[in-house]
Amino acid sequence: MAEVKVKPEVPDPVDIENRIIELCHQFPHGITDQVIQNDMPHMEAQQRAMAINRLLSMGQLDLLRSNAGLLYRIKESQNASKMKGSDNQEKLVYQIIEDAGNKGIWSRDIRYKSNLPLTEINKILKNLESKKLIKAVKSVAASKKKVYMLYNLQPDRSVTGGAWYSDQDFESEFVEVLNQQCFKFLQSKVELSMEDIETILNTLIYDGKVEMTIIAAKEGTVGSVDGQMKLYRAVSPLIQPTGLVRTPCGLCPVFDDCHEGGEISPSNCIYMTEWLEF
Amino acid sequence: MTQAEIKLCSLLLQEHFGEIVEKIGTYLIRTGTQPLRMIVSDTGLSLDQVKKALCVLIQHNLVTYQLQKRGFVEYEAQCKRVLRILRYPRYIYTAKTLYNDTGELIVEELLLNGKMTMSAVVRKVADRLTETMEDGKTMDYADVSNTFVRLADTHFVQRCPLVPEAAETPEVPPPPAPTLVVNEKDMYAVPKLNLIGKGKRRRSCDEEENREHKAKKQKQDGEGAEPPPDDGIYWQVNIDRFHQHFRDQGIVSAVANRMDQTSSEIVRTMLRMSEVTTSSSAPYTQPLSSNEIFRSLPAGYNIVKQVLDQYLTLLADDPLEFVGKSGDSGGGMYIVNLHKALASLATATLESIVEERFGSRCARIFRLLLRKKHLEQKQVEDFAMIPAKEAKDMLYKMLSENFVSLQEIPKTPDHAPSRTFYLYTVNILSSARMLLHRCYKSVANLIERRQYETKENKRLLEKSQRVEAILASMQATGAEDVQLQEIEEMITAPERQQLENLKRNVNKIDASENQVDETIFVLESFIESTLKKP
Repeated sequence: MAEVKVKPEVPDPVDIENRIIELCHQFPHGITDQVIQNDMPHMEAQQRAMAINRLLSMGQLDLLRSNAGLLYRIKESQNASKMKGSDNQEKLVYQIIEDAGNKGIWSRDIRYKSNLPLTEINKILKNLESKKLIKAVKSVAASKKKVYMLYNLQPDRSVTGGAWYSDQDFESEFVEVLNQQCFKFLQSKVELSMEDIETILNTLIYDGKVEMTIIAAKEGTVGSVDGQMKLYRAVSPLIQPTGLVRTPCGLCPVFDDCHEGGEISPSNCIYMTEWLEF
Repeated sequence: MTQAEIKLCSLLLQEHFGEIVEKIGTYLIRTGTQPLRMIVSDTGLSLDQVKKALCVLIQHNLVTYQLQKRGFVEYEAQCKRVLRILRYPRYIYTAKTLYNDTGELIVEELLLNGKMTMSAVVRKVADRLTETMEDGKTMDYADVSNTFVRLADTHFVQRCPLVPEAAETPEVPPPPAPTLVVNEKDMYAVPKLNLIGKGKRRRSCDEEENREHKAKKQKQDGEGAEPPPDDGIYWQVNIDRFHQHFRDQGIVSAVANRMDQTSSEIVRTMLRMSEVTTSSSAPYTQPLSSNEIFRSLPAGYNIVKQVLDQYLTLLADDPLEFVGKSGDSGGGMYIVNLHKALASLATATLESIVEERFGSRCARIFRLLLRKKHLEQKQVEDFAMIPAKEAKDMLYKMLSENFVSLQEIPKTPDHAPSRTFYLYTVNILSSARMLLHRCYKSVANLIERRQYETKENKRLLEKSQRVEAILASMQATGAEDVQLQEIEEMITAPERQQLENLKRNVNKIDASENQVDETIFVLESFIESTLKKP
């Protein structure tokens, strides 16, 4: 009888890769090295590693770390096509930015999470920005700080400041206009309960044009919070402009330098002269 | 005494009493209590002059004296009282609104003379009123007396302290300076006088000569007959009472501005009822029951009891906190919160000053800080809705003018600036003091400017006075119209215009002094009330 030698099958590298991809599709959450080994027991570790590396560099697999070890996950096809030209580091940074969601993430935080040096990070960020994968959004909290988020995401309210900011600039005119409008609105009504623009109303209180009282209200009435309701009422000022500001001295910018016999004195005061001729 | 106060006092003394009195008054204010010898030696004036000046000052209650233990007398100037001279026009005007021309003249005479007996006041006022009346009419002494009695009953005028009537034993010589006492009960007791008579009109020239002889004879008889029945009982103006009245006025007008006319009338009634029961420095009035208030409302106001109760409840609940409820008996006991009211008025004054000087947005930040007491830079920006750069600019401007101050709260023991909280805050009392000082200086500036304007045009004023005198004498001797016109033309048209301008300017500055004095009153009352609080 002739010896039948079972030639060990040298699996085709492409086959291995395809098999791994199939496995990944089977387990969309990711597969460990162990799973691949179980599936293809005759494959040598070196071959396995080579295939995996190739898939990673081609951008078809995602490398993740879990408590079981390393996980390989199939990457979405559109993302895969996007990241074709990038290398691992860029992919890592992109991952971190993606995880930050719509709040964005600061460049220093990216550095901490990825352990990459600053120069590398900057290069990568510039790269990603030019590829239109991420964008920089200026934070309203600190104007020098830039947070990065995915290109198609809407920045969160805490970053842009909400309704009062447009293009990172405080919309003072907008606030001013609303201020006037609210005041006019309140002047024409006797008592009114408001909730949505409480902050604007508070500024009117600080202007001394409006006062607020809190009354007990039944639960369920419109605008009541915890059994209380805030009422606003337009008021007129307590006193007329006081005497001191009706004289030039009350508003004089050089008041402290003025004394009789000096360069600035009551006798030659130009503000007084103008005021007397009025 | 700050420099500004001393300067203002010296200006007021000079304007009202002359150089010599001013010199002595200013010396006493600056150096404090001094005996007579020191005053003479330091001011370089003669003993006679100093004595007379001191008499004038004491007569007007501007200087007090005290017998020291070692047997000599020391004199002390009352700086605050000197500053009140600025407020004389307001006192007179108030008397006019309350008691008509008669009251106005009574208060004016008392202020101009310091202390007077009732009979002297009545006589003088009647004479003055008769002057202004039509020919043939005269003012009766009885009317004037009645007004005087009413002024005394409402405590606007009071008796001066008297020399006590101690039995003098021959051995003990009378002390060099008597110690004056005043009996509380008698302070407003009007002596029973039987003043009969009418005011005398000062006749014009020719008639007067005929009457002069008669009048002289009468006078001599009169003087020899008997001293006036109330000799020794002197009256003076009760300044504190007027201040109480101004304070009440301020509170009532504030309530009227914030609420409506009826509420302000109710508050006015409450204050009127507490006039004589509550001392002027009390933090709140005595409790008044709603029934009492209802009974005391002025006749014209017919509101029902329930409406009054509603108003009182509204007033008590108002965020202003001028009126408070202190109990439920008698339909509800209510008080007027005087200290709180003064604080609100002073705060409103401060806010008004900040608004006029720095702008309405700065005023917004100022009010915000008043409400929230302590705030960080960032919180100020958020609450006031003002962009960061502008808010910072405004805060620093107010900080440099001392309206706002910084409170440091360190996070670490080494007080590193990056690890410290900096909180902005407003201190009302110190801001009020700072502004009060500014008011004093402003009034001094205004007086100086007024004097300067008058001095500049002195030549012109003298000329116009001469022309008027010539005109008057010529009219008396019956000159022709042509001649009168010639004299009048001595003052050219531009000169006339200049005189008009001068008059207008002087009046304007005068009015402005009174207005600043109103601010001074509010701030001073607030500071006094805060310091007196236990």
